[in-house]
Formats: sequence, C-alpha cells, structure tokens
Amino acid sequence: MIEQLRFWGIVVLLVFGLFFTFVSAVGVIRLPDIYARAHTASQTDTLGAGLALAAVALALGWDSMTIYAVLLLFFVFITNPTAAHAIARSAAESGIVPLTDETEVDVEPDPSTPDEGES
Amino acid sequence: MAAERVLIPLSDTVTVRQTVGYAVQSCPGEAETLEFHLVVALPHDMEMPEGQSLTADAEKLLSKAESWVREDASAGSTTTTIDIETAVLGEDEYLFGPRDYARTFDSYAAKHDIDRLVLDPEYQPGTTAQMLQPLERELESVGLAYDEAPVERPARHERLVGDGTERFDKMFAMFWISYGFYLVLGDPTYWFDLVTGAAVAGIVTVSLAHVTFTFPLDRIGSPIRTLRFGLYVPYLLFEIVKANLAISLVILRPSMPIRPTMTRVNARVRSGLPLLALANSITLTPGTLTVRADDQRLIIHTLIPTAREDLFEGSLERAVRFVFHGRKGARIPTPEERGDTEIIGGDEL
Amino acid sequence: MTADLLNDIFLVTAALFVVLAIMMFYRAVAGPTTQDRLLAVNVLGTNTVVILALLAAGLGEPWFLDIALIYALLNFLMAIAISKFTVERGGVL
Repeated sequence: MIEQLRFWGIVVLLVFGLFFTFVSAVGVIRLPDIYARAHTASQTDTLGAGLALAAVALALGWDSMTIYAVLLLFFVFITNPTAAHAIARSAAESGIVPLTDETEVDVEPDPSTPDEGES
Repeated sequence: MAAERVLIPLSDTVTVRQTVGYAVQSCPGEAETLEFHLVVALPHDMEMPEGQSLTADAEKLLSKAESWVREDASAGSTTTTIDIETAVLGEDEYLFGPRDYARTFDSYAAKHDIDRLVLDPEYQPGTTAQMLQPLERELESVGLAYDEAPVERPARHERLVGDGTERFDKMFAMFWISYGFYLVLGDPTYWFDLVTGAAVAGIVTVSLAHVTFTFPLDRIGSPIRTLRFGLYVPYLLFEIVKANLAISLVILRPSMPIRPTMTRVNARVRSGLPLLALANSITLTPGTLTVRADDQRLIIHTLIPTAREDLFEGSLERAVRFVFHGRKGARIPTPEERGDTEIIGGDEL
Repeated sequence: MTADLLNDIFLVTAALFVVLAIMMFYRAVAGPTTQDRLLAVNVLGTNTVVILALLAAGLGEPWFLDIALIYALLNFLMAIAISKFTVERGGVL
C-alpha cells in the first residue's frame, strides 16, 4: 500500500516536472524578448527541476543520499532566481530595452503623492 | 562675507564627532556669523517596530552635536557669532536611497541658503549599508557643494569587528552552520569526518564570519526569524505553484496573451537579507522578475496583468515582513494603497 | 517488479529531459543577445543537473548526485560571472 502510494507519488511528480520543463522550453522559444524569456527560463524551469528532484528524493527513500537530493533541491531554488536576476540586470545595464505593452491603460499609476498618514 | 552657513548631516558613527570638529574648524575666520545646520535624516522605515526609537535617537544625537559645536567654537578664539539650527529630516517623506537623501539635503540647503555641506566619511543613515560613494555621486548630480571631512579612522576597524559578544555570536552561528553542512555531506559517525569538519568549519568561521553576517545577530530574534522563515517556505511554494500554473496556461495558449510591463515598487523592507529574500521571492514567482534592486526601489518586469496585480497587492512583501518583524510588522497597507507602485516605460531603466 | 518499472520510468524521464534540453539549445544558438544565450545555457545547466539526478535514481548510482551538486554550483557561478562580465566588459569580477 505504502509502496503503491510512493510509486504513484513519484510518477505524478515526474509528470509535473516534465510538464513545467516543457512549458519553460516552449517559453524560451516563443517569448519575444530576454526579460519575458527569463520568466519561464528561470522560474518555470526551477519548479520543473524542483519537482523532478523531489521525485528522485522520494525514490531514494530514507537514505543518506536523499539528503543530497534535498540539498540540491534547496540549492536550485536559491540560485536560479539569483542567476535570473543577474542576467536580467546585465541585460538592463547593457541597454536592452524591454518590449512593453504601450497600449496598456487600464491600470493607471497611482497619484504620486505617497500616503504618509500611517507613518 | 556676512554669514557662512554649513549643513552637517549626522548619523551615529564613530567619526561623527571628528566631522563636527572639522566643520567648525574649516570655517573661514572672517565670517561674522556662522550658522551650523545639524540635521539627521531618518530612513524611511518609520513604522517598523525598530523604527520608533529612531526619532528619539535622532534627538539625542542632535543635542549632543549641538554641544560639540559650542565646545569647538569656544575653543577657537573667534569673535564670530555662532548660530545652531537642528532638524530631523525624512519624517514626512520616505527616504529610500542616496538619491532621496541628496535631494532632501539639496532642498533643505536651498531653503536655508546653505553654502556648503560637510559630509561624514562614514555617513550611514539607518541600518542600510555604507552609502558614501553613491551619496557623493548624487550630491554632484543635484549640484550641491560638499566637503568630505578628513577624519582619522583607526576606529573604522574596530567598528567592523564589533564588540566581543557580537563577534562571538557571529562566529558561533557560522561555525555550527558550516560544521552542520559538512557533516550532512559527509558521515556524522565517522571520526575522520568529524575532525576534518571541525577544522574546515574553523577556517571558514575565521575567514568568513564577518562577510556572512553583516548585521549584529540577535540571540533571541535570529532563531525566531529562522523558525518563521520555515513557515514562510510552504506559503512561498504555494504561491509559486499557483503562479506557475497561471503562466503555463498563458504560454501554451496559441495566441499567447502576454502583456509585458515594467513596474517600480518601493518595498518597505530593510536592505540586506530581507530585501534579498523579497527580491528572490518575487523572482521565483513566475510572471514577476526583479530586474533591479537599488536600495528599496525594485524595478520589476511583469509578464501578465494578474501577476502584476498580485505584486501590487504586496502579499509577498507582507510575508517577508512577517518573517523579519513578526506579526505586527506584517500589518501594513499594500504597496498600491501606499502609492508605492508605478508602471514605467521600458526605456526608463 | 515496481522497482524495475520505476527505474525505467526514471530513465525515460531523463531521455525526455534531454529532448527538452535540445529544444532549449535552439535559443542558445539563435541568441540574439549575449544574455539570451546566457539564459539558455543556464537553463541547460539546470536541466543537466536534473538529468544527472534522474540517472542517479534510474541507474542506482547515487554518487551521480555528488556530480550534480558540483554542477549546480558551477552553473550558478557561471551565470553570475558572465553576467557581471558582460556589463563591465572585462572589469574586475
């Protein structure tokens, strides 16, 4: 029973991991500019990788190697957004102008006076 | 020359006394009246739990500095009249970074017809990192003449190291963290790993403890924060999964209805670790990507409108504030209500 | 039985991850900017880490995880170093 549950848990994690990595690959190819690509390339992929690593950890069971998988998971979750930020920042500093939706009018910037009452 | 007016921004540093001394000394003797404007600029995080004592500290510092000026002025055999004005700046506006400070000083200088600004080389308002160089740059760009006080700073070293207990706390924490990491990778029951681990952890502690913890640790606060961070992780994971599903739908749809925008959000979290946590969480949540984090001003690229709305509601910001300031710190208005959000054009990076 | 099946599942998943990695490779080749390539290579690195971990589970060679850990560290350093380098054009890293 427990074995069965673990088996299906691993399969589900792997399927979702593959799905999110697939989304990330599609995003990297389809999205229009570097900033947009960074969203999927680094974040959706992080979740995909995280789920796959969780599946590995689950498969290894209660083993000293499981700690490695968990560490790896933790590490990927910390470093990936940092790397994405570094890349986006580098793009911004080398003067790549992001494509923005200029027709966007439904959300106006707030009146610029900051609300100071509650300080 | 009738009067010489000098603006001295003060902060609680080891060189503030010398700076005041220099400001008094460097004034040309022929001026009839000397006007010293002593100001303390408060960092923006007034409503934070630790922010309340800031005003009191500022008042204390101002009164101390006032007596220093009198002392130094009477020591010099000048016949000039000394006027001292004190002020606390930044109470009714939010000062985020060097640019805001420079602008505040400039408007103060314009209002009071100040000739010169004397800057403490260690000037450091609030708890944020050292900001002399960016501040100098900003002062140049607003066109305010400044003068850096030539102070001796043997004391600087002392300050970096901190006092005894502070240093011990940092080393203690660093040692056990690195030792624990080593043993997790190795085998905690094997004597060789135990010995080499202790040696390696010792080396790491001695060389890196001051780099790792840039702020003094709180013996009670830090473990509690770690625990609260443990609560924050599941919440963050939930947000990540939710946002990932939303973005997956958008990307896989053939029409791909994305609406990329650049936004600026002024976050109400302290620089350093809290800001890192917030910026990384924002980046981890798909649909929002931190492009820049200059002080508390985050430039964030958002991909879809719902992600932007979530960002403007500031739930992540509140969660990060909960981690670092507890439940009371989390109760703040959303960035949108505060007017801290702004949609900017792509070329305004 | 389930153990064998599970190993096969891990290997198949690893193969699919390789296919996805090859898809990403398009962006690394096509660019157009340095940052695009860097991003693609970074994602490729993350995928490599995952593939290594999956192989570790699928082939029953847990020490692959050691390599995966080192690879993840190097991948992160690579991304940081190159993005710093592209901004400062050979300045001090």
